Amino acid sequence: MKRFFASDFFYDFVRSPVALVSFLIVLFLVLSAVFAGVIAPTNPFDAASLNLMNGFTPPMEPNPFTGDVFWMGTDDQGRDLFSAILYGLRISLFVGAMAVALATVMGVLLGLIAGYMGGWLDNLIMRFADIQMTFPSILVAMLIFGVARGILPPELRDEMAITVLIVSIGLSEWVPFARTVRGSTMVEKEKEYIAAARLIGLNRWQIMMRHILPNVLNPVLVIATITLALAIIAEATLSFLGVGAPRTEPSLGTLIRVGQDFLFSGEWWILLFPACTLLALALSVNLFGDWLRDKLNPRLK
Amino acid sequence: MLQPLLEIKNICVEFKTRGGALKAVDDLSIDVQQGEILGLVGESGAGKSMMGAAILGLIDPPGRLSSGEIWFKGQRIDQNPEPFRGCEISMIFQDPLVSLNPLKKIGDQLVETILRHKRMSRAQAIDRACRGLIEVGIDPERLNAYPHTFSGGMRQRVVIALALASEPSLIIADEPTTALDVSVQAQILKLLKKLCDSRGTSIILITHDMGVISETTDRVGVLYAGRLAEIGITDHVLRSAKHPYTRGLVASTPKIDPDSFGRSLYQIPGSMPKLDAIPTGCAFHPRCTMRTDKCSQERPPMMKDTAACWLLEEME
Amino acid sequence: MSFITAKNLVRRFDLSDPWIVRKLTFRPKKFLTAVNDVSFSVEKGTTYALVGESGSGKSTIAKMAVGLLTPSAGSITLDNHNLNDPNLSPQRQRLMRRRIQMVFQSPYASLNPRWRVGDILKEPIQSFDLIQGTKNQAKRVEELLEQVGLSPSDAKKYPHEFSGGQRQRISIARALSSQPDVIICDEPTSALDVSVQAQVLNLLKSLQKEFSLTYLFITHDLAVVSSVANRIGVLNKGALVEEASPEELFTNPKQDYTRMLLNAAPKML
Repeated sequence: MKRFFASDFFYDFVRSPVALVSFLIVLFLVLSAVFAGVIAPTNPFDAASLNLMNGFTPPMEPNPFTGDVFWMGTDDQGRDLFSAILYGLRISLFVGAMAVALATVMGVLLGLIAGYMGGWLDNLIMRFADIQMTFPSILVAMLIFGVARGILPPELRDEMAITVLIVSIGLSEWVPFARTVRGSTMVEKEKEYIAAARLIGLNRWQIMMRHILPNVLNPVLVIATITLALAIIAEATLSFLGVGAPRTEPSLGTLIRVGQDFLFSGEWWILLFPACTLLALALSVNLFGDWLRDKLNPRLK
Repeated sequence: MLQPLLEIKNICVEFKTRGGALKAVDDLSIDVQQGEILGLVGESGAGKSMMGAAILGLIDPPGRLSSGEIWFKGQRIDQNPEPFRGCEISMIFQDPLVSLNPLKKIGDQLVETILRHKRMSRAQAIDRACRGLIEVGIDPERLNAYPHTFSGGMRQRVVIALALASEPSLIIADEPTTALDVSVQAQILKLLKKLCDSRGTSIILITHDMGVISETTDRVGVLYAGRLAEIGITDHVLRSAKHPYTRGLVASTPKIDPDSFGRSLYQIPGSMPKLDAIPTGCAFHPRCTMRTDKCSQERPPMMKDTAACWLLEEME
Repeated sequence: MSFITAKNLVRRFDLSDPWIVRKLTFRPKKFLTAVNDVSFSVEKGTTYALVGESGSGKSTIAKMAVGLLTPSAGSITLDNHNLNDPNLSPQRQRLMRRRIQMVFQSPYASLNPRWRVGDILKEPIQSFDLIQGTKNQAKRVEELLEQVGLSPSDAKKYPHEFSGGQRQRISIARALSSQPDVIICDEPTSALDVSVQAQVLNLLKSLQKEFSLTYLFITHDLAVVSSVANRIGVLNKGALVEEASPEELFTNPKQDYTRMLLNAAPKML
């Protein structure tokens, strides 16, 4: 740990305004989401605690009927927007992180196998990747989502919505991982330390996992960070289109969809605050990922 | 005494790092005479490639030529090396694979280089290019061939032809034969010697191979940890080296000698210091079997124009 | 008594165009014969050097000797056991593997940059189940490091903390950890500086005496060969053109190619 803080990487990190600010924003949002239960004044998902009379209250103004004040106003059903955003952040981040984790594991494994085994297996995996890449990832996610919806019985649909969301986004983002790892694997495979490992009698899986994997993980962190931004936006898009997180467990995307309905009738806050939060999150993750990529790349020379 | 073609005076090449400035070349002075082949020999990390690059200002940041002067034909060139690059002073690098543009025919590359430095019509330039190819031993019919159709040795000949296209007075050859087979290496070295004789071009030959030095160069400079350890006529330096490092280097080079089997090779203990751990005084003293106290305290200057060693002081 | 015998070794590489290209252009399959009917034998405890330029097939023979490539024809036997016998069970094959190890040319690519040196040296011991118990294994690792002139504290370090010559020593230690009978040295000093080369060659010679090792030494450098080899085989484009002791070869070369190589080699003084 101490080596990390003394390293060149940390030195450059604290001297780069972009890296520092974007990282702090992400940290702030993550902590807010994690501690949503403690920070949020109300639980927006508890239907019983909602008071319809609170609906459409503008931010920071007392409600004409109940006199309650809400920092960011309320939506049409009286939900406190501030709380809704905090809980919505949770879902956005959770889905994003889990989807990236799935994409990483799947992509790295497939990349390793394709790169090391070569031959028809490599061909199969890469052609599959090529085909998938010809479709926009949102369409792929929607396709998987739709299929899953079709398979699941109706009672489970809402409950499984989050899981299906994770799976569909994750499955649509594995290709960059696989391609990069495959390339690095093909390079490492030719190096003499792999030949030495074969001379010791290790089988293919042992060589892939013990020797090649640690040496191809370098770019994975950068790809994962950028994919996180994409996953967050993908989830928001799917929810916005109505095929993602439901209203009962809204993510930021769902809130934006709701807010859009009311924008032109004057309740601007229902759209603005969730949208700004999403913007801050996606932008910060993206900027940090970019900085990370630039930092880690020349080092590989 | 004719004025030397190239005079390098007390140059230092420094690299800025977080821990301070590291000297890849430390207060080095050397001359190149007209029409001679000067060898620069040293192991990896000795700074010989750095020196070659410094002459033409080709050092990439964070490195830079931090002090000293470089004079060429009586003109100072270290502040402004660009007009001389590829023109009066050419350079040949180690790997012929990456020295040629794979997308251009060699004839085009030659003609382009010729026209860059001399004013003449395209037809005249093509004629020049053909003669250049003949001079390096390539059939001029291959003017329209692409680099990948040549073998490694042939490619290096094309690179030499390119270097000669501008009729330079000095060629810096940085390990030109290291990547080539032994038989091809012999041919390329013969070619370089022939060119030096016929055209009077001076060559700085940078290498780590003592055998190459012995067969090709007139004089040789031995580098160690960025400093010049010894300089002199090749035969003298190899047969009766004054600096202990040179002696050790010559002794540990394997030779084709049927009697050598069964005997251990002489080995110099230890290894060349890294740039951030250069010893005080003489850089070689920790590995030297004949060191004295003075060696660890003061850096020896070049004694009697041959070797930088305190042991020579007693002989004066 | 021959310890390692290569009999009529052949290795072909298939460089044909893809099937569909061949069908459309009516071209035949293209093969490169890298090794063409090479035979030699090595006595136990001696060093046999294979000398040749690039494309001579010497690296291919080295890889066949150690099991990284299978011969297209011919055989290599170790102590009268055919290394590529298809009847050998995987167990027997592994046992054979242990007896022949290799030291590679590149000090930079031959050690896994993400592993500590101690783990690199421990791996063969664990894989071949030579020593049980972590304490005993750690002691053996220390022993190996000392045998190659490094210190036990180096086990905790990573390869990039060492110089090229030290890395080759680690490679040699790794080869030794399997307790082999034979070590194939594939240009082990070609990437090293002259003074470091001398250290590594001397180390290889002293280890050979101490452990009665047999070396197959691959190189392009005739000068290196003259100080390490008992017997030299000269390869040209996949064929063994001449074979002799260093004395005979250097004073009375019989083939034109050998003479050409001797003439071309840069001579000191």
